[in-house]
Amino acid sequence: MPHYPLPMPLEPRRPRSRKGLKLVLLAPLLLALTSCAKVSGLGYKEGLSSVNDTSLPLWQGAWITAGIVGVFTAGLILWAAIFHRKKNDEFPKQSQYHIPIEVAYTIIPFIIVAVLFAYTARDESRITNKSSVAVMHDITVNGMQWSWQFTYPEAGTGSNATITGTPQQRPILYIPQGERVRFTLTSSDVDHGFWIPAFMIQMQNLPGVTNHLEFTANKLGDYPGRCNILCGRDHSLMQFTARVVTPAQYRDYVNSLKASQS
Amino acid sequence: MTTVAHPPRTSATKAPVQPSRKGSQFVKWITSTDHKTIGYMYLITSFSWFLIGGILALMLRAELTRPGLQFFSNEQYNQIFTMHGTIMLLLFATPLFVGFANVIMPLQIGAADVAFPRLNMMSYWLYLFGGTMAFAGFLSPGGAASFGWTAYAPLSNSQFSPGIGGDLWVMGLALGGLGTILSGVNFITTIFTMRAPGMTMFRMSIFSWNILLTSILVLLAFPPLAAAFLGLESDRLFGSHIFDPANGGAMLWQHLFWFFGHPEVYILALPFFGIATEILPVFSRKPIFGYKGLIAATIAISALSVSVWAHHLFATGQVLLPFFSFMTFLIGVPTGVKFFNWIGTMWRGSITFETPMLWIVGFLITFLFGGLTGIILASPPLDFAVSASYFVVAHFHYVLFGTVVFAMFGGFYFWWPKMTGRMLNERLGKIHFWMTFFGFHLTFLIQHWLGIKGFPRRYADYLPTDGFTFMNEVSTAGAALLAASMIPFAINVWITRKSPMVNVDDPWGYGASLEWATSCPPPRHNFTSMPRIRSERPAFDLHHPHIKTEGH
Repeated sequence: MPHYPLPMPLEPRRPRSRKGLKLVLLAPLLLALTSCAKVSGLGYKEGLSSVNDTSLPLWQGAWITAGIVGVFTAGLILWAAIFHRKKNDEFPKQSQYHIPIEVAYTIIPFIIVAVLFAYTARDESRITNKSSVAVMHDITVNGMQWSWQFTYPEAGTGSNATITGTPQQRPILYIPQGERVRFTLTSSDVDHGFWIPAFMIQMQNLPGVTNHLEFTANKLGDYPGRCNILCGRDHSLMQFTARVVTPAQYRDYVNSLKASQS
Repeated sequence: MTTVAHPPRTSATKAPVQPSRKGSQFVKWITSTDHKTIGYMYLITSFSWFLIGGILALMLRAELTRPGLQFFSNEQYNQIFTMHGTIMLLLFATPLFVGFANVIMPLQIGAADVAFPRLNMMSYWLYLFGGTMAFAGFLSPGGAASFGWTAYAPLSNSQFSPGIGGDLWVMGLALGGLGTILSGVNFITTIFTMRAPGMTMFRMSIFSWNILLTSILVLLAFPPLAAAFLGLESDRLFGSHIFDPANGGAMLWQHLFWFFGHPEVYILALPFFGIATEILPVFSRKPIFGYKGLIAATIAISALSVSVWAHHLFATGQVLLPFFSFMTFLIGVPTGVKFFNWIGTMWRGSITFETPMLWIVGFLITFLFGGLTGIILASPPLDFAVSASYFVVAHFHYVLFGTVVFAMFGGFYFWWPKMTGRMLNERLGKIHFWMTFFGFHLTFLIQHWLGIKGFPRRYADYLPTDGFTFMNEVSTAGAALLAASMIPFAINVWITRKSPMVNVDDPWGYGASLEWATSCPPPRHNFTSMPRIRSERPAFDLHHPHIKTEGH
């Protein structure tokens, strides 16, 4: 029996299909769900400090959650904006309430924020935890218009234990690697903000208030530190360098301060 | 109107047209107690401040484009961002709410005017003089205030910020704040006592509901601010020690300021959520989805907004982190509900994209991202990383610009025929929208990364080695586009100033709330006849009596 190719049926011209567009809109959602194998630090590096160790997973988790919620919600908005356009003069169904859906979109966001809060509360108490036992060093960080004063009590009680920077000469804050430091934050004039961006940590230096902050720096290197609370004219010059050194180098540095007294 | 399925009814209530001279028109305006005229004065004045604040923003962006100081000294830069923030929040966005509320709310509830028309006029003059006073600091020998719009004590006292500019700032804003408080009193009284027969609370438009809740927030937030300002001025002028750090003044100021400052964010947001909620149903040809749930969500947001102020203090080490964090997270729930109300309104609608609708969808997308970074910032450990950086700058511009400016332009295009009797040009409106949309996202999206990389807010300068240069260049390019987007709007207003009157009550064809049941513009006392009010869509019921709303 001869085999004839079937004649192609002539399809009536359909209105432009938007199926392709629907797929394009769904793609990022699928992508977001399937590409979680190795999450980047989203701007931060792993392992720099004890704060990073706690906050980085939270930062990643919060962004993944926000990403899924955002893609889903934006997807719904764009979906309606594209596919529910006016097609004819008929009025759409004038629906006003749908109790099950309304209950769902109240409860689901509540569950999401409750979970986020649970992780937040756990991590926040880890970061603000004051463990006098594990602390190996004390450093006082005093803010003043417009530089920083770092005092190392291990170098004695004299003025030589204090390093004072100027806006032009940024002071260096020495931090021993792998050893927990308690920072005491004070201010001699106005509010300042002690911020080391790479370590994901900051706390304000407030006049009349003594604040405490503890963390361990884990990787050698120089990291910029900046005042981030407006403190007057030269606020943008109030910077310092956080220098993470080995414990031996740190001892040498403290000893050199001590020696400078005599 | 090409998209109108059912021809709108011609207006039965045309305002009488009288020729008038320009001078007498001016006197009529400045002596008017008509809520609409006062509303127009508020809208025009606040929009003028928006342009001034925008020019200051361009100056900031110009300075930050490259490392090194090119245009301003550190002190001048501090003055510019202080006044940029002050103007945008207190002289533009807050009075803009008063303007829209004045023009639209009495129409929507079927009132002839606000409850206290003369008090209304006084509020306006307090605002105009207070704002001018704060800005006049630029003319003083020491320049304008330079301690940031948050005016943290003790930086803002006379020892660290001497000069008359700071005093003008404090007292000018206290004066303007009084105007805002009086407007709040006026709106609450109007809504509670002057609704038309049949206009029950649960038939009131969402915009008017939001004006009510915003006004309540004003009464909660602005008096503490006034107290803080008067205390600060007393410290500056009379040497009192209210905000002396030795007495815990540093924290007292932060608490008092943010007890105002956080509700203020919602004072700015709620009216503009209201505008979005008015526009979406009209161009989706559907009622608002989940009307009562939406009101409940707005009440929840208002209540929560006064219990989260200390999330601005997370990095002080002096507040109970879990409580304020949880309250802040909770705000995400009613905000999420609102989003789904808006989506539900559009869902399976018969959507057309006239310019107002375009602005509101732009608002939804922009505010969505601002809301998500808000959830990130609700978590104290993440605040320790990015607080007071450009990440926060980007976040609040997404929230505030996304809400206030996008919804403002949506509202302008939407109610322009109601206010002037003339339509704005659609093509120019769309060009205006897309330039603003791309300009905005180009300016502010990249600032999130800038903050994560460690660029603090309120820095006049950075080093070439900091690695901030490229991102700042991109941001400045976006700001230029954003500024240019005002040009099509200006052209639009100019070329349509003599276009034909719409001569119908509802030129959009599907208006729901009561302002679409009177002429464009409305007569002096708003209505010559009142339609029966049997649902939350009285104008829609009047113009489309055959359409039934399906309850469930």
